[in-house]
Amino acid sequence: MSDDATKSHKPVPAPDDLSRPFWDAARAHRLAVQRCAACGYYNHPPRNFCDACLGRELAFTPLSGRGAIYTFTVMHQRDVAGFEADAPFINIVVELAEQPLLLMVANLPIGERDRVRVGAPVEVWFEERGDGVVVPQFRIV
Amino acid sequence: MWHGRGKTAIAGIGYSEITRRPQKPLGLLAVDACRAAIADAGLEPERIDGLATYPESPFAGAGNRDGEDVVSVAFILNHLGLASDVRWYAQIETGMIASPVIESVNALLAGACDYVLVWRALHRPAPRGSAGVGRGAPRAAGDAQFIAPYGAASIVQTHALAWQRYMYRYGATREALAALALNSRRNANLNPRAFFYSTPMTREDYFNARPIAEPLCLFDCDVPVDGCVALIITTAERARDLRNPPAYLAGYGQNTARRRTLLYYTLDDYMACGGSLARKLWSSAGLGPRDMDAAQLYDGFNPSTLYWLEAAGFCGAGEGADFVRDGRIALAGELPINTFGGSLSEGRMHGMGHIAEAVRQVTDRAERRQIAGASAVCAIDGSPMLRGSGIVVTRDP
Repeated sequence: MSDDATKSHKPVPAPDDLSRPFWDAARAHRLAVQRCAACGYYNHPPRNFCDACLGRELAFTPLSGRGAIYTFTVMHQRDVAGFEADAPFINIVVELAEQPLLLMVANLPIGERDRVRVGAPVEVWFEERGDGVVVPQFRIV
Repeated sequence: MWHGRGKTAIAGIGYSEITRRPQKPLGLLAVDACRAAIADAGLEPERIDGLATYPESPFAGAGNRDGEDVVSVAFILNHLGLASDVRWYAQIETGMIASPVIESVNALLAGACDYVLVWRALHRPAPRGSAGVGRGAPRAAGDAQFIAPYGAASIVQTHALAWQRYMYRYGATREALAALALNSRRNANLNPRAFFYSTPMTREDYFNARPIAEPLCLFDCDVPVDGCVALIITTAERARDLRNPPAYLAGYGQNTARRRTLLYYTLDDYMACGGSLARKLWSSAGLGPRDMDAAQLYDGFNPSTLYWLEAAGFCGAGEGADFVRDGRIALAGELPINTFGGSLSEGRMHGMGHIAEAVRQVTDRAERRQIAGASAVCAIDGSPMLRGSGIVVTRDP
């Protein structure tokens, strides 16, 4: 995104015990989510038990960072915290390559509005927002 | 078929003013609606011995002051002058407003009470530019930490994302949503309680409306209002002695579908959850979609109505966009939908308007919108993936 990183008013992720490895990985420009040791199911958002089998052994595992746009919307309403000045802006939901419906949310620059479509292949990149905040983003490849 | 079929009935309807500029606090609007429902049934407040509501305010960051932002069972107990010892109540947290109706029916069948007052009060808080994260320092915790930093925490975006996927999967266009919105507006123009009673809408109006979250526009969103709608439910036997013809409760269903915890509810969740509700609705009532003379289908956001048409079996998956064309869903059509104007045009009463209209249609009280001889009408609540519950009411027990 084109924001001046030091002036971003966008909501800042508040890592907790469960999510800290996700955000630590993002700061190292790696994408990692929890995977269940028992059944192999990827869990995102992270939790204390596997959503598929209730297994308790979950380990953050690197992902390829590749996927496809599952769906998208162009938001016009200026009532989203931290994004009031950004409207219209694009949200995409990415389905990651590793597992059906392993979904992540991201933005595309508004200049991509004529190119964004369901099914478009994407890859991860990492947006630096200042003060050590790094959020995974995706771009069309 | 369910043993409770036809043994309870809705016997009274009460509306407060439905307005975007309320002249009184929500609690007083609720008192207006409750008193109106009791009077409509021909009862005295002292006869009410059961209470049920679904009080949740649907806004992230909205307040929780009783009588201002929400209206709880305690508020009605304190301020309505009811029986000195109300026998039963339920304050439901899931399933939306048909769920307290369902609980009331169960309580009546169990003999826990005789006359239940059900209400739904909704307050429109002032816009505060903080969808999903509350006021103050924008730190996003919990699951919001994966959404809010991208500005994607608003419910309208969730619906827009599902509808985009629907359009992709089935090749639907905005024409389908236009047909639904225009149908609702035409019906609202015949409903004096509707927020848009005096405001017609043309096809051009719809397509020229400002986008909210593409592909959804302003007229794909319900009208945020202040207001309250109340109902009186009692046993069929007691209902026959009251003022209005009873709308018999034939069956009900709730959404109990299993689903994975995802960052976003997907289109498949909408359909699975809707189907789960509909299977129970039809089997308990011993009726099916083809037996309905009209369908009141939730439309907090316009695409939900299309999903309900498919999930409840009025048409097949992906056929909704064709189904709503060519006047089929109009008052004079094969399956009139949202005959009162829906939440899109009556106002956001969160499914209560749908139930009240189903009652009116099977009791010949639907004014200029009456479908002659309507014998069975369903009212289904909720965006299918979030929650949801529904009922069928009939003219005969």
